[in-house]
Amino acid sequence: MRAEALLHQEYAIRGGDFVNAGESSCKIRNTLRQIGIDSEVVRRIAIAAYEAEMNVVMYAHHGKMEVNVYPEEIRLTIDDSGPGIADIDLAMQPGYSTASEEMREMGFGAGMGLPNIKKNADVFNLTSRVGKGTRLEINILLNGKNG
Amino acid sequence: MAEPNLVHSIRIDDKRCVGCVACMKICPTKAIRLRNRKARINYERCIDCGGCLRVCPHGAVVPVTTLPSDLDRFKYKIAMPSPVIYSQFGANVMPNEILAVLKEIGFDHVYDQALACEMISIAIEEYLDENKSPRPIISSTCPVVVRLIQRLFPSLCKNILPLEPPREIAAKNLRAEIAREQNIAPEQIGIIDITACSAKMVSISHPETMERSHLDGAIPVRKIYNEAMMRLKRRNPVFLTQTHTSGIGIGWAIEGGEIRGLKHANSVAVSGVLNTIRILEDVDSGRLKNIEYLECLICPDGCVGGPLTVENRFIAKSIILRMIRQFGGKKRVNANMVKDLYHKNFFSFKWAVEPKPFPPLDKNRNAAIKKLELKEELIRKLPRTDCGVCGAPDCQTLADDIVRGEARLEDCIYISCHLLDDAKKTGENKK
Repeated sequence: MRAEALLHQEYAIRGGDFVNAGESSCKIRNTLRQIGIDSEVVRRIAIAAYEAEMNVVMYAHHGKMEVNVYPEEIRLTIDDSGPGIADIDLAMQPGYSTASEEMREMGFGAGMGLPNIKKNADVFNLTSRVGKGTRLEINILLNGKNG
Repeated sequence: MAEPNLVHSIRIDDKRCVGCVACMKICPTKAIRLRNRKARINYERCIDCGGCLRVCPHGAVVPVTTLPSDLDRFKYKIAMPSPVIYSQFGANVMPNEILAVLKEIGFDHVYDQALACEMISIAIEEYLDENKSPRPIISSTCPVVVRLIQRLFPSLCKNILPLEPPREIAAKNLRAEIAREQNIAPEQIGIIDITACSAKMVSISHPETMERSHLDGAIPVRKIYNEAMMRLKRRNPVFLTQTHTSGIGIGWAIEGGEIRGLKHANSVAVSGVLNTIRILEDVDSGRLKNIEYLECLICPDGCVGGPLTVENRFIAKSIILRMIRQFGGKKRVNANMVKDLYHKNFFSFKWAVEPKPFPPLDKNRNAAIKKLELKEELIRKLPRTDCGVCGAPDCQTLADDIVRGEARLEDCIYISCHLLDDAKKTGENKK
């Protein structure tokens, strides 16, 4: 069992709410800055959180983002109830997207979301059940190697 | 804390300050507090945007700039006006008339910064073509934007265009040229920016990307305005309609000036402090990677909206737009010469812009987390009226100050007079 988190925060994300999309990742960034997390680490988390948040907004009904700060790492967990991902390997391919025409017109759905999250994470774990939902867990080390 | 007047170009005149909340409220980095009914600037947080200067109703916020007597130490004095100057004396006064008058005021030579603006336009294109570094590349022209990024968006420092802005390039070029031509020692030449900008002085005294600025001082447009206007009025109407710069260089005085001359169409221009913060937040979240070049200017509408100008900024903008049309979009500087200089690193920063994030709530992470939790608890206790009576700009900032040990909960007038309990009761009754 891992040690208890030094800091734990939760944010609800509403599917289809493009107006408020990005708020949770913004709050996470502010929180991490105030507790003195290195700015490069904050940037990576903010990007991953934003992309993950957008995925929930675009595809799921609702979701929850959890941030846990540990002495050595920050763990971000995003759970959603939504359609799920049938083929994770395919979803991870840069450029692959199931976004609708409308979403693409809004500038989303370039198929770079998941690859971009992975690029910024030290540990990346994606599990999904079709028709149920998706769980994304990422860890970013505080003395990040991935900078 | 370092000596404020050396590292910043804004100070408070206590004799004039009446302790109102105007400057404290407008400050984008929450650098101002009221202590004993006087505004106090926290110079670690100040980015010299001049917002306070602009709103103070009592003239108590004073820009620190070069005094005429400071110029006496130079044997050869050069005025280097920003293109903003062309917007300040009405639509019928042409650039070369203004340059001529500036020289009469007491300079040995006048050099038009607009020319260097054209050079940098070409250098930016070279940089964008040759570098695949993370996009968008953010302009380095506005000294306040550079400081804002260092403070609020430290991870974007590496997006800043690593080329010196036109004023520095112009001064660098000019000093060598004049020293040769006039046979004077370079250090005996004084190059003075005639500026609209409250931050120019600090960017000269404390440059972020080199040991020493190529400029020797900055004088506000306001300071030379009266004398220049008198002379322009008295002048025989010789119509110096020719300029040696195009509309591209002059256009740098307003928002969009930098991107107007760029062939990279996927560029965006933003002005005003809140707009700048908003777009930088988007960049910081990785949302705007498809944009090639981002021009951000802290003053509304760009440098014509600078706090040290005289002319109404909308009039000034319209004059610049007219000149852009009149003088055309064909650059006058030799592009090959600029590219050659670019490849010799003539424009390059000595070193990259260094992140300078605000200090966390505590150096110790566990203590910082405790303080963050305490802060959130305090925010729930405070009235959230953001009245400013406590001396902090809003309740959230008061909570921040309290956990940092710089204020007390009793500083809140609602708390100390138990007004909040009463207000809550009334609120409940109304329900």
